[in-house]
Amino acid sequence: MNWNLYSRGDKFFAIVVSILIGMFTVATLYPFIYIAALSFSSGFAAQAGKVVLTPIDATLEAYGYILKDPQFWVSYRNTFIYTIGGTVMSLAFIIPGAYALSRPQLKGRRFFNLFIAFTMWFNAGLIPFFLNMRDLNLLDSMFGIILAFAVNAFNVILLRNFFEAIPKSFEEAARMDGANDFQVLWKVFVPLSKPAIATITLFCIVSRWNGFFWAMVLLQSEDKIPLQVFLRHTISNLSDDDEFAIVQTAAGFSAETVTAAIIVCSIIPVLIVYPFIQKYFEKGILLGGVKE
Amino acid sequence: MSGVVLNKIVKKYGALQVVHGIDLKIDPKEFVVLVGPSGCGKSTTLRMIAGLESITAGTLAVDDRVMNKVAPKDRDVAMVFQNYALYPHLNVADNIAFGLKIRKVPKAEIRQSVQEVAEILGLTDYLARRPSDLSGGQRQRVAMGRAIVRHPKVFLFDEPLSNLDAKLRTQMRAEIKRLHKRLGVTSIYVTHDQVEAMTLADRIVVMNEGRIEQIGTPMELFNNPANRFVAGFIGSPPMNQLHGFLEADDAGPVAQIGRLKVRLPKSEVLENQNGKPVVLGIRPEHVTVDEVPGSFPIRINLDLVETLGSEALLHTDLDGMTFVARVETLGEISHLSGVDTLHVKPDLLKLFDAETGRSLSVDARTGT
Amino acid sequence: MTIQEDSSSRNSDVLAAFETEDQPASGGRLEAAIDHLRREWQLYLMLLPMVIWFIVFLYKPMYGLQIAFKDYSIFRGIAGSPWVGLEHFETLFANDQFLRAIKNTVTISALNLLFGFPAPIILALMFNEVLHASYKRTAQTIVYLPHFISSVIIAGIVITAFSPTAGIVNTIMGWFGLDPVYFLTQPEWFRPIFIGTGIWQEAGFGSIVFLAAIAGVNPSLYESAVVDGANRWQMMWKITIPSILPTILIMLIIRIGNIMEVSFELVILLYQPATYETADVVNTWIYRQGLQSGQYDLAAAAGLFNAVVAFILVMTANTLSRRFSRTSLW
Repeated sequence: MNWNLYSRGDKFFAIVVSILIGMFTVATLYPFIYIAALSFSSGFAAQAGKVVLTPIDATLEAYGYILKDPQFWVSYRNTFIYTIGGTVMSLAFIIPGAYALSRPQLKGRRFFNLFIAFTMWFNAGLIPFFLNMRDLNLLDSMFGIILAFAVNAFNVILLRNFFEAIPKSFEEAARMDGANDFQVLWKVFVPLSKPAIATITLFCIVSRWNGFFWAMVLLQSEDKIPLQVFLRHTISNLSDDDEFAIVQTAAGFSAETVTAAIIVCSIIPVLIVYPFIQKYFEKGILLGGVKE
Repeated sequence: MSGVVLNKIVKKYGALQVVHGIDLKIDPKEFVVLVGPSGCGKSTTLRMIAGLESITAGTLAVDDRVMNKVAPKDRDVAMVFQNYALYPHLNVADNIAFGLKIRKVPKAEIRQSVQEVAEILGLTDYLARRPSDLSGGQRQRVAMGRAIVRHPKVFLFDEPLSNLDAKLRTQMRAEIKRLHKRLGVTSIYVTHDQVEAMTLADRIVVMNEGRIEQIGTPMELFNNPANRFVAGFIGSPPMNQLHGFLEADDAGPVAQIGRLKVRLPKSEVLENQNGKPVVLGIRPEHVTVDEVPGSFPIRINLDLVETLGSEALLHTDLDGMTFVARVETLGEISHLSGVDTLHVKPDLLKLFDAETGRSLSVDARTGT
Repeated sequence: MTIQEDSSSRNSDVLAAFETEDQPASGGRLEAAIDHLRREWQLYLMLLPMVIWFIVFLYKPMYGLQIAFKDYSIFRGIAGSPWVGLEHFETLFANDQFLRAIKNTVTISALNLLFGFPAPIILALMFNEVLHASYKRTAQTIVYLPHFISSVIIAGIVITAFSPTAGIVNTIMGWFGLDPVYFLTQPEWFRPIFIGTGIWQEAGFGSIVFLAAIAGVNPSLYESAVVDGANRWQMMWKITIPSILPTILIMLIIRIGNIMEVSFELVILLYQPATYETADVVNTWIYRQGLQSGQYDLAAAAGLFNAVVAFILVMTANTLSRRFSRTSLW
C-alpha cells in the first residue's frame, strides 16, 4: 500500500496504530531496561526504589559479587555442556529418524508416524517419567539430562514434513549414481534441508538453554546444575535471607541488584544469538509450507 | 541378444494394473522414444528399466543379464530427470562428479572425466557455478553431463525438455540428437510430445493405457499408423478421421462418408464387407486447395483460417464433421477465404475399422 | 534452492506411495519381507535409535502409570506393588486441594483464553497497518524477544519488578500516593500477574502465525477494495479479518484442546504457599505431592486423570481443526 494514496482518515489510522505498536514495544522492552539499570545501581538506591530507567549511584558491585561466585561459573559451563551436547544428541536422533519416516518405501510407516505423534497427545506425566529416570539410574546425571530430552515429536514431524517435500527425483538421481541411504541423507537431503535443520537446531538450543524444571528435579549435585537452576536458587535464597539484605546492602549491592545482575549475565548469550535466530524462527514456526 | 530387452513386463500397484505386459527389444546404440498421453505407462516403464520401480512380472534384460532384482546403481544405466534433480548445494563440477565420487573413483580421474564431459557439453566456463545461477538450457546440459560422465550402457530420459520454453526445447532437442550421434549410447527417451518423438527417434513406441499401440520408425508411424489411436497421436494437426461405412460398386470398394463417396483400392480385406462402419483417415497435409493430378475434390464449408506463415490451417465443415487441412500459403492468404472445395490425394488415404480402430489399409498391415 | 516441482514428479510420489502395498506376484510374504529388508535395511537402522528412545523415555513411563492403581513402594517396584483399584482416585476426588487445583487450572486457562488469545491477533492486525518497514521490523524484533527468555528469568524479572520495597511497580504507585502492595503474596493478584506476564512473553511471538496468514491474503482483494473506495479500517474488518478467520479458529481450537496445560513451570516459579488458593494448578499439585512429598501413586493417579482429560480434549480439537483446515488456506 502506498502512503500517498492514503486518505486523511487512513493516515490518521496508520499513525495511531504505529503509536500503539510503539507503546507495546516499549512496554515489552522496559522490564529488560529496568533490570539492566537495577543491576548497575547501588544496593541503597535499589532498596529505596529509586531506580526507574537508568542506574542510580552506578556501581559494578553486584556483578563483582556474582562473578566471584565459583558456582556461577560452574553452572554457566554446565549450561553450555547441556546446550551443545543436548543439541548434538537431538540432531543425531532426529535427522536419521525423520529421514526414515519420510521414505515411502518404509514399511509400517503409518504405524511409526502414529507411534511418534501419539506422544504429542498423551503423556504419562511427571511421576512415571521421574520414576523411570530413577529406574534407569539417570538421576543426578548430566548424561541423563542430555539423553532424556533429546527427542520430541514436534521436531521429528517438522523435519519429516520437510524431507517429504523434497522431490523424489533427488533421491532417485542419487540412487542411480550409486548412493546408499546414508549417502542420500548426508550428501543430498541434509544439504537440501538446511533451513529446516537450522530451525530445529535453534529450537533445541533455546529449550536447552532455558531448561529448568527437570534439571531442578533430577539434579542434586551443585557441580551439575545449569545456570537456570543456579539463578533460581540465588533468587529465592536472596529474597528469603534477611541477614543478607542487612549485611550486604552496606557493601553496595542488595538482593535486587544481584538478582538483576545474574539475569543480565544469563540473557546476554541469548541476545548475542538472537539476531541469527530471528532469521529462522519466523519460518520455522510455520514450517510445513516452507518454500525457498 | 544384446541391448535392452523387455519381455512381457507388467506393473501393478495393488489391484491397479498400469502396464499390461510390454514386449520391446532395443538394439545397441538405438534411440528409442516412448510416447503417449499422460498416464499411458511410459514413465513407469522407463522407471522399471531404471530400477526405480519394481517389476511386477516379466523380465528385463540388459546385454543378456536379467535386471529385475538388480539395484539401480548396478544396472549401468543413467537417467536424466524431468526436473533435472541437480543438487542446489553443489556447483556444476561437483554435480557432474557426484556419481563418480560416490563410487570412489580416484580424484584425478574424476577431474579428467568432468573436464571431458564439460567440453562435450560446452560447460567448461560454468563448472564453478551453482545450478541456481544457470539458465534452463545449461541446467539441462548439466543433467546430461551427470549421466554421460559415468559412461553407462543405457541413457534414460524422462521428459527432459518439458521444463524448457519452446525455443530452447527445439535447440536442446537437436543437441540431444547430436550427442547421441557422437556417443552412440543406447537411449530410451520418454515424452508426451509427438514432435520430440518424431525428431529424435530411430524408432518410436506409441503407448496407450499401459499397452504398446505400435512400434516403428517415425516415417512408418506417420505413413502407416496401425490404428486410429496412433493416427490421431502422430502428426500435427492430427489426421482427420471421418466416419462412414463401406460400400461396393462394380469398380470395387467405396467408402461412403456422408454424401461423399471415396473410391478405395481393391483389396481382399474389403471384400464382402458392405455396410461395415469405417473411419477414413486423411492427413491435413495431404490436402490441397488447387487440383493436382489424380486428386478428387471434396466440398466443404470454410469455418476458420489459422495462419502459420508459410502454411495455413483451414478449419472446415464436411457434412457436419470437422475437417482440417494444412495448405501452403505462398505468402498470401487472401485466396483462401473463398475456398469451398479441397482436393485429396487418394493414394495417401487411410482406412480404419470403426469398431476395433485397426487399420484396414493394405500397406499399413504389411508395414507392421 | 531450485527445487522445481511438477505434476509428473508428484504423480510418481503417489505411485511410490502405492508401492508400499505392492504385493509380489510370486514367492511368499516372508521371502518378500526378507528381500525388502535386504534392500532397505539402512532405513530401519536409521529409524531404530529414535524408536528405542521413544520406547525408553516416553512409552515405558506409560507402563509405569499403573502405579495409579497400586499401593506403590519404591522397594517393591512398579510390578511388585499390590493393586488397590480406584482407591487413589477416590482419595483424589475427596481432596479439596486437588479439586481446587483443577478449578484453578481451568480458571487460569479460561482467563488466558479470554485475554491472552486475542492479544496476538490484535497485534498482528496492527503490525499489518504499520507502513514504515524498518520501524515495523524493529518493533517485531523486540516483541518476539521475551519468548526466548527462560521462565526463571521471566519470573526473576516479575519478582523484582513487583517487589514491595524496591520494585518499580510499587515505586510508581508511590508517586500517586498509593501504599505499597506485596503483590506476590496476595492470592487476588496472582492471576492478573500470571496472565499479564504470559501476554508480555508470548503475544509478540504468537502474532507470527497470524501475520503469516495475513501475508497470504490475495493482494488484489485490497486493490479492488481501494478502487471501491474502502478505507483501511473497513479493509481490516471486511478483508483481513474474514481472510484469517480460519487461522483464528484453528488456533482457538488448539488453545481449547490445551486447556489442561497451564505453563506450570512459571507457576512454580511465581507462586508461594500464600497464593496456592488461586495459583495451584494440577501439575504443581502433582509436583508437590509426588516429587516433594513422595506420594508417587496418588500423584500418578492425578497425572493420569490430567492426561486422559487432556487427551480427549486434544483429540476433539484435532478432529475439529482438521474439519476447519480442509476449507482453510493451510
